Amino acid sequence: MSVAISARGLVKGYHDGLRWLEVLRGVDLEIEAGELVAIVGPSGSGKSTLLHLLGALDRPTGGRLEIGGVDPATLSRGQAAAFRNRTLGFVFQFHQLLPDFTALENVMMPGRIARRDPSETLKRARALLEEVGLGDRLDHTPGQLSGGECQRVALCRALALEPPLLLADEPTGNLDPDNGRAVFDLLLDLVQRRGSTAVVVTHNPELAGRCARLFALDHGVLRGASKA
Amino acid sequence: MAPPRPHRLPLLARPWALPVLLALRYGATARKQAFTRLLSWLAMVGIALGVAALILVQAALAGFQALLKGQVLARTPQVEVTVPADADLEAAEASLAAVPGVSSQWRVISGRAWLVTLGRVVPVEVIGYSGSVPPTFPGAAGAEPGLYLSARLARLHGLERGSPVEVISPRPTLTPLGPQPRSIRLPLAGTFEGAASDEGERVALPLAAAERLFAPARPRFEVDAGGLDEAVALAPLIAGALPGAEVRTWREINRGLLFALALEKRITFVAVLLVVIVASLSLVAALSLLIASKKVELGILGTMGAEPRLLLATFLALGALLAGLGTSAGALLGVGLAWLFDATRLITVPGDVFFVRHVPFRLEPMDLAATVGLSLALALGAALYAARRVLLLDPIEAIRR
Repeated sequence: MSVAISARGLVKGYHDGLRWLEVLRGVDLEIEAGELVAIVGPSGSGKSTLLHLLGALDRPTGGRLEIGGVDPATLSRGQAAAFRNRTLGFVFQFHQLLPDFTALENVMMPGRIARRDPSETLKRARALLEEVGLGDRLDHTPGQLSGGECQRVALCRALALEPPLLLADEPTGNLDPDNGRAVFDLLLDLVQRRGSTAVVVTHNPELAGRCARLFALDHGVLRGASKA
Repeated sequence: MAPPRPHRLPLLARPWALPVLLALRYGATARKQAFTRLLSWLAMVGIALGVAALILVQAALAGFQALLKGQVLARTPQVEVTVPADADLEAAEASLAAVPGVSSQWRVISGRAWLVTLGRVVPVEVIGYSGSVPPTFPGAAGAEPGLYLSARLARLHGLERGSPVEVISPRPTLTPLGPQPRSIRLPLAGTFEGAASDEGERVALPLAAAERLFAPARPRFEVDAGGLDEAVALAPLIAGALPGAEVRTWREINRGLLFALALEKRITFVAVLLVVIVASLSLVAALSLLIASKKVELGILGTMGAEPRLLLATFLALGALLAGLGTSAGALLGVGLAWLFDATRLITVPGDVFFVRHVPFRLEPMDLAATVGLSLALALGAALYAARRVLLLDPIEAIRR
């Protein structure tokens, strides 16, 4: 399952106490359902901010955004949380696994939040971790796993509920080139097999080039989209 | 790299509510943080000590008050009926006897007088009764009419059965030779049990003797209803049968004492409850610290779709867990100590000052329920106060590094 994303004139700004700063300046974005797109840009260009808006974690100051026909800005905090749980999977640069929980429990967490059956959730989480080659790491906590392993667990957690949209913020930014490539291969493979829409923010032109479309963000302006 | 832990059912696979599972895990990991652990222990131990102290104090007060009430109520008429001055006493007595529930009744005249024995004078409250000795004189109730003193007074004055006792009324009789004191002399018929009343020693004697001492005082009626609750139910029936009569039950007669006892218990409860309140503040500190240290993880849960109220419920559950453990331990300690102190009569008091030689402990189910309920409510309130901070948590702020 996948969703389409449509953004029109998306603006995000804030007051820093002295002046009004615009991080996103009228971003227009059309992503088709099932598409895999990359967003590249230098630090401070607004990539993470855009991803936060797409992830219903923040609200735009102006413009209109629709994800699968839903405008996240119209949702209450509780509704936005339910929307994230149902629709989105996040992968962060620093894996952001819960350190008090094992790899298996981390992957089970979205299912438990969604009030899915615990034994089904367990079965599904175990199968996912085995699929990414971590079948012997189920009971390890993040502190007992390597960076690449943690990111693979984070990938499993993001895909645990088969979300229609995967948002990845520099998913390989904290890994060495080999591990980064392996994780990215895994991400592409998992997303393509599930047919999910995916938006990947990355610094790495080589990895970005492997996505179906490429957007460049500079100083809050989406400078143009090109077919990779 | 540390070796993997042996495989077991993950916590999250248990079919319990997620906030409970999260609370259990955060409670377990909080133990690894020295300061959080210290604050959690302080809160739990504080709540336990507070609950134990509340239970002990309530039990001691309940035991003491039950004894005092028992003593006072034993010498208080269950119902006291005073008919108007112009009422026919015979007719009133007949009406009273016809009220269903009146098991027995006496005519009574009372007043202040002096007891004179072997040259010593003791101020006393004289109670003249009709028929046999009323039940307000435990130990002598139902005995043949005569003059009865408390066993203590008789012992103090070396009086034995048959010893002559003189009672002098403060009301003189006016004669052509001037006011003459009224006095009667009767042999001691026996003794009754019980400590001195607030007014001093009591003397029971036949109604005719009291009438001589206190004329023209009119007698009132004292009614035995067969029980304290029955007496309260009977009072309106008597008032209906005897229009114009003043009807007072043991409750009204001892209103001041009963109010003072209830007030004493309430004030002591509130005072000792302060310990639990202070312990609850430790709980606020422990939970606040834990929430601050888990800010990032809570933000990550937020990105996964955990609603703020789920996170709130998590820390409420953790607060309830700590409070529940503290309250249970305190309740066990309090009940155990109260039982031990009572069984071993460990805490002694001077018997001539109080009317007992040890502090009795009595566990009242209502006191226990109130203590446990209020302690849990306070701790949950504290947990809610600390946990509501998670409602303000912004996932973006939490995950931004």
